Amino acid sequence: MKKDNKLKLNLQAILTDLLIWIYILGCVSFLVNHWFEKIIQTNFVVIFGVAAGFISFILGLSIGRKIFLPTIKTEGKWYKTFWGWSVFLLLLITFIVGWNLVEVDLYKLFAKFQNAGGIMKGIFNPNMDIFMQCLAALAETIYLALLATAFAIPLAFFLSFFAARNLMPQTFLGNTVYIIVRTIATIFRSIEAIVWAIIFSVWVGIGPFAGMLALMIHSIASLTKLYSEQIENINPGPVEAIKATGANTIQTWIFAVVPQIISPFLAFTIYRWDINVRMATIVGFVGGGGIGLLLLQQQQMLRWQNVGIIIWMIAIVVWIMDMVSAKVRGKLQEM
Amino acid sequence: MKNIIEIKNLHKIYAKGTHAIKGINLDVKEGEFCILLGLSGSGKSTLLRCLNRLIEPTSGEIYIDGEDVIGAKGQKLRYIRRKIGMIFQQFNLIQNLSSITNVLTGKLGYSTLIHSLTFPQHKEDMKTALDNLSRVGLKEFADKKTRNLSGGQQQRVAIARALMQNPKIILADEPVASLDPATADSVMQYLGELNKSDNMTVICSLHFLSLARKYGSRVIALKDGKIVFDGTPKEIDEKRFKEIYGEDAEEVEIR
Ligand SMILES: Nc1ncnc2c1ncn2[C@@H]1O[C@H](COP(=O)(O)OP(=O)(O)OP(=O)(O)O)[C@@H](O)[C@H]1O
Ligand SMILES: [Mg+2]
Repeated sequence: MKKDNKLKLNLQAILTDLLIWIYILGCVSFLVNHWFEKIIQTNFVVIFGVAAGFISFILGLSIGRKIFLPTIKTEGKWYKTFWGWSVFLLLLITFIVGWNLVEVDLYKLFAKFQNAGGIMKGIFNPNMDIFMQCLAALAETIYLALLATAFAIPLAFFLSFFAARNLMPQTFLGNTVYIIVRTIATIFRSIEAIVWAIIFSVWVGIGPFAGMLALMIHSIASLTKLYSEQIENINPGPVEAIKATGANTIQTWIFAVVPQIISPFLAFTIYRWDINVRMATIVGFVGGGGIGLLLLQQQQMLRWQNVGIIIWMIAIVVWIMDMVSAKVRGKLQEM
Repeated sequence: MKNIIEIKNLHKIYAKGTHAIKGINLDVKEGEFCILLGLSGSGKSTLLRCLNRLIEPTSGEIYIDGEDVIGAKGQKLRYIRRKIGMIFQQFNLIQNLSSITNVLTGKLGYSTLIHSLTFPQHKEDMKTALDNLSRVGLKEFADKKTRNLSGGQQQRVAIARALMQNPKIILADEPVASLDPATADSVMQYLGELNKSDNMTVICSLHFLSLARKYGSRVIALKDGKIVFDGTPKEIDEKRFKEIYGEDAEEVEIR
């Protein structure tokens, strides 16, 4: 048992070192290509990376050893150790590669300010003529966020019980249900709402309905996770006590679990609506309708004064939402 | 008197390998007030929870009122559970519900889902619940959230909840361990009353010998998952006490 573990840790350590050095050499080859336009073969990168990884692992305190085999003595300041220098090199080269990949250009940032003149002027001279049109689009956005949240609540509420470790029995069926619900929720959550919006705008056509569906799917997955974590944190005592009265499973959930989670659930839900209003704007950009779509259209026509009013209105709504949701959540906490 | 609880060669081994109950044989007669003594970790809670299967025993047999507990499933198990009221050290009330609602949950084992969701509409249930609350002297606290009650009051609400089950047996797992001495004694008095006037069988784990002597008709001591003493409270002298609690133990008085 113990030996197994040691072997595993050593393997993890050496694998970490190999990956780190392959990465470092990969970065070097990118830079060589970028600056001197010389191509370094991938094979070389891998071979030298592996070699460097092995050597560093065998010779001394490599990063892998430091992370996975902490029993080994590590004394002195970081700059006196091999792993310290390795980390330094790793960070430095990552930063240099990043700088080049992102095409950071300070000249553009400061000298080309006048390019943004149009939009800046627009923001400070918003076109009030399209105020009503904006308001309509904004209503669309807020309502689609509201509906998405409202539809997501009951489904997420229901699912969260099956995604809570402490409620699912330790049987084959219980574990299977738990794992399936958890996995699906995790996968759906890791797909951004904006991707769902693209999918649904093809499915049901561009417009607020697509945006609503996108936010709903994302909210269900995300609320299921938040809710079920809350359920896992409840005090198990009342659950035991209610079970002991002879209550069945559903009664136990309703009487011992639900009262304990209702106020954190409300807080999460309001927080979620808050997020959904912001996301609804962005989702609009890719076919989800509402104020986002309007913003996209005006921006493409370079109507900066129209863009200006839209930006102001979005900012005000987000600001109000923020305040309201913080207030309500504060009140809930006192309850 | 008949045996209301029969335990035969009971074992409990936890998933991580702790052998908490090591072959316990025990018969409890109807109307007894058994005190369960033993050091922390001796297996008192485990034994009590095996009786209503809040914990699954590893092997052995348990009969409650003649019914096989280990073999019982679903509905059958719930019928057995409702005969057994349980009291906990931490009271285990649902904190943000009112006292009366907490007491009503004692009726869950007798109710369908629909019925239990509409408890307040059922006059008889409300009346029984209020009667039970009055019995523990808390009638005027019916609508108070239990979170706002003192420890002693909470434990009395828990007793009223157990009474709602109309139980034959009360299992109490260190019911007074988080209460001050005076409150502890008053809570024990309620349990004693149920034992005397309602002829409920009580098994109660305790850490105080003085309370054991005052209320118990029988003392069972556990050590390391086995019964090391079974007799009357009077039989526990200095020597027996040290057998149960170890050589260095001193008896602490509590009145
Ligand atoms: N859920 C559990 N999983 C694993 N082991 C447990 C679990 N519950 C209890 N044990 C172990 O079983 C043994 C008996 O514990 P138990 O809680 O029954 O003792 P106790 O007599 O009630 O102690 P206390 O006076 O502290 O309440 C202990 O060694 C404990 O660590
Ligand atoms: Mg215990």
